Amino acid sequence: MTVHMRTNLGTIVLELDSAKAPETVANFLEYAKAGFYDGTIFHRVIKGFMIQGGGFEPGMHQKPTREPVKNEADNGLANDTGTIAMARTPDPNSATAQFLINAKDNDFLNFTSPTPQGWGYCVFGKVVDGMDVVQAIENVATGNAGGHQDVPLDDVIIETVTVEDD
Amino acid sequence: MTSTCFIADLHLHPARATIIDLFLRFLAGLTARNTAKLYILGDLFEAWIGDDDDDPVWTPLIDALAALEQRDIPLYLMHGNRDFLIGEQLARRCGATLLKDPCVIDLYGQATLLMHGDTLCTDDSDYQAFRRQVRSREWQQNFLHKSLGERREIAAQLRETSRQAGQEKPAAIMDVNQHAVEAIMREHQVRQLIHGHTHRPARHHFQLDSRPARRLVLGDWYQQGSCLLCSPEEQQLVNLAAD
Repeated sequence: MTVHMRTNLGTIVLELDSAKAPETVANFLEYAKAGFYDGTIFHRVIKGFMIQGGGFEPGMHQKPTREPVKNEADNGLANDTGTIAMARTPDPNSATAQFLINAKDNDFLNFTSPTPQGWGYCVFGKVVDGMDVVQAIENVATGNAGGHQDVPLDDVIIETVTVEDD
Repeated sequence: MTSTCFIADLHLHPARATIIDLFLRFLAGLTARNTAKLYILGDLFEAWIGDDDDDPVWTPLIDALAALEQRDIPLYLMHGNRDFLIGEQLARRCGATLLKDPCVIDLYGQATLLMHGDTLCTDDSDYQAFRRQVRSREWQQNFLHKSLGERREIAAQLRETSRQAGQEKPAAIMDVNQHAVEAIMREHQVRQLIHGHTHRPARHHFQLDSRPARRLVLGDWYQQGSCLLCSPEEQQLVNLAAD
């Protein structure tokens, strides 16, 4: 399952792993096909760590989401460079629409145990083209905005997310 | 005449009993020196692994800090690059107000920027990358959920790595970057900055947009105590001997 994420800094192509993260991929695709991600931004960018988006529109307006999806981080997939994972709050099963793309091997995000502390962040795919775009986004200037930190000073906009029919 | 006292970089560690002692004597002497306020601008601790640290070595220190409130000496605490895991729980126990880094205060009528100083060392890109990782809420949650023993071990490893890396880095990149200094002073519209971290105590005078500006750097507490005493008229860097 291939997804094209076109941003104002270029296109990121992702291959999603529905075998290893079936509910997470299904959840993501539902948002993508509904056009939910179109016009959202990468609102949290930390160089050398990850880029996070899919939840806010420019001006840090948070979009309402559907119910959370189950955490499938115990699928053996690691938060390595170029993988896409679901973002969430400290509640392990709180992921809804926001996702992050790992800019480094972030071991501390990996599942270690099925406990509130050990659940980790569910990886459900990886970048297969456009890692240079991820790096460009990773390197944008950031600052504080409306109580949020690490917000790109110039909006990094997800123009559209399209799903390739396999 | 009262003064405001700034300290940083004590790097207190259970093995450094002499300096812990010196610090307790320093706190006891604040009233005699007419200190109206005490600011600790980071790295009070060599490492702080979480507010649940139950090492009894810290009890006299926390008690002495908490006693400042009874003595009408407000206490302000800022995170350093070693003790950035100090949280609200410890701050409450010490009777301290946690300050953001950077923050601007009114120091006897002069808007003054307070920082720990590590974010000014922009030439040390390895450190800045490390900092971005460990300041993320994901890293901190992951770390704080480990056992105290595991955290102590990781902290010891990180200190050793940092010590070795420090020996290999050119001294110049470990000092502040003047462009970064000027940019942040401009951003906060100040002409006076007080920070620690570099362990290079000094008073730096320079021109910021054609007007005089001042950067005051606090000294560390490795061999002796060091503080910056500010009054309406002057700022003095003072050393305190450890006997």
